Amino acid sequence: MEIDRIDGRSPNQLRPLACSRGILNRAHGSASWSQGFPRDTKVLAAVYGPKAGTKKNENPERACIEVIWKPKTGQSGKQEKEYEMILKRTLQSICILTINPNTTTSIIIQVVQDDGSLLPCAINAACAALVDAGIPLKHLAVSICCCLASSGYVILDPTKQEEEGMKAFAYLVFPNSIKLILPEGSSHAQGERMEDGIVTSVTHGAMSVEDYFHCLDRGRAATAKLSDFLRRNLQPQVLADGSKAG
Amino acid sequence: MGRMRGLEIPLTQTQKIRLQRALQKLESLSSKANSNASVTVADSIPVNYDDGFLKGHGTSELNGEVIATVCGVVERVNKLVYVRTLRARYKPEVGDIVVGRVIEVAPKRWRIDINFSQDAVLMLSSMNLPDGIQRRRTAVDELNMRSIFEENDVVCAEVRGFHHDGLQLQARSQKYGKLERGQLLSIPPYLVKRRKQHFHYIEEYGIDLILGCNGFIWVGEHAEPKDDMVIDEQANKSDQILKPSKYSMTLEEQERAYTPLETRQNVCRTANAIRVLSTLGFSVTIEIIMDTVTMSMSLKEIHEMLGSEFCVLVAEREAERRSSAKKKG
Repeated sequence: MEIDRIDGRSPNQLRPLACSRGILNRAHGSASWSQGFPRDTKVLAAVYGPKAGTKKNENPERACIEVIWKPKTGQSGKQEKEYEMILKRTLQSICILTINPNTTTSIIIQVVQDDGSLLPCAINAACAALVDAGIPLKHLAVSICCCLASSGYVILDPTKQEEEGMKAFAYLVFPNSIKLILPEGSSHAQGERMEDGIVTSVTHGAMSVEDYFHCLDRGRAATAKLSDFLRRNLQPQVLADGSKAG
Repeated sequence: MGRMRGLEIPLTQTQKIRLQRALQKLESLSSKANSNASVTVADSIPVNYDDGFLKGHGTSELNGEVIATVCGVVERVNKLVYVRTLRARYKPEVGDIVVGRVIEVAPKRWRIDINFSQDAVLMLSSMNLPDGIQRRRTAVDELNMRSIFEENDVVCAEVRGFHHDGLQLQARSQKYGKLERGQLLSIPPYLVKRRKQHFHYIEEYGIDLILGCNGFIWVGEHAEPKDDMVIDEQANKSDQILKPSKYSMTLEEQERAYTPLETRQNVCRTANAIRVLSTLGFSVTIEIIMDTVTMSMSLKEIHEMLGSEFCVLVAEREAERRSSAKKKG
């Protein structure tokens, strides 16, 4: 059964994405990620670190990650604390924590606009900001929001209006696949895929097990598009710097 | 209308084509096959596994393969393979020459902004006193700190090291200190390579050029390094007036402070040359700056150097120079 979405998208269609890095001057790394046009969800992420010293209860043999979430208006409350905790666990699993032991990396998330699918947007922005700061990562993470309508249909990347009318929704974070750099003239066609895994899953509302797996499949399929976009964006522009040739 | 690679200069169609051609030529010259490939996180790096190799920064091993952990360009030095990140924030090393601006005058130190994530500190004891005598800094010296540097002065110094309260600088030699009568430019720090000589005196134009490793570049009228012996006369005067007021200079001081028009034009030319080079993303060295300035002498107006035509000319010239250098070497 087809669902008509308000903005005319198909159920599997994502909103237009935009990502820019290196926007904040004083931060070690920064990125802004926005989904949607013209009304969009936009999040700004800044990374400071690694700084010396860990927090009190943290393991000094590993690097510590600290997340601060700043909402668009109002003071930080319980919802923000929850987001901080989810983000911290997610980022801990993609960063290589043993490289800089006894250090703290701070990630500050500022919500600029919220139009649905806020946490996935923030995770994507944080990942891009970590790359911009040059912090070693195991792999990239892409995240997406899947909703379950009362009719049993799954739609991706909802706007705030759509989100409020849903029976249940899930935020999913998937790892990015590894690609081989193809040497020129090689006959190797495809790179290898990393084993499909899932990094984080946050659900709200009640859904059956089959529906959940259905969401997972749809989400995983859509992340291929997201990963492509992220990779293309992160592909560093090789500057015309001939000091190596000369 | 074409906008290239973040350049804010509008280019006409022909200029866009010429620029693209020049940049492509440069790219084809610099990357040798796939060894300078740019990688993103979790990309596998092509290595010859038979030869021994060392894994450097930005790499890690997974399932017997070498994969990148950061986004950047693969560099190989003998057997070392590492990934260099492109958007490099300035990372200070001991002994770097840096140019900065004074932000604050604090007890016994000055805080200086050097385009790093934290402010650098220049201690009063790391600075030569105006009378040149080596002595212990007293409370009177501390009160007279403003007569040496004030807020918003441009200063040249050397990195001394990292101490508990941050990055420390020193300015003990005569070539360091306050910079006057010139322009301060800010370019991305990775365009300035570390060389033996960062201070350049260009005699034919009479200007001083200091390439700070932090991406701040000073172009100014040439200042003779002050001789300590001559300072005695000034020190006597400063006993009476603690801070020479900027507004009440004597006539002869005003004459000395006047910069001839020609020198000022040369300063502007050099500054514009550096601006164009940094917009195009070429690394900034003294040779390429002088070449660009000579090339600009043919232009009528100095401000044309910031236009699109000159930009394209510089790119083409650089492509020519690199290809001829490659043919020779």
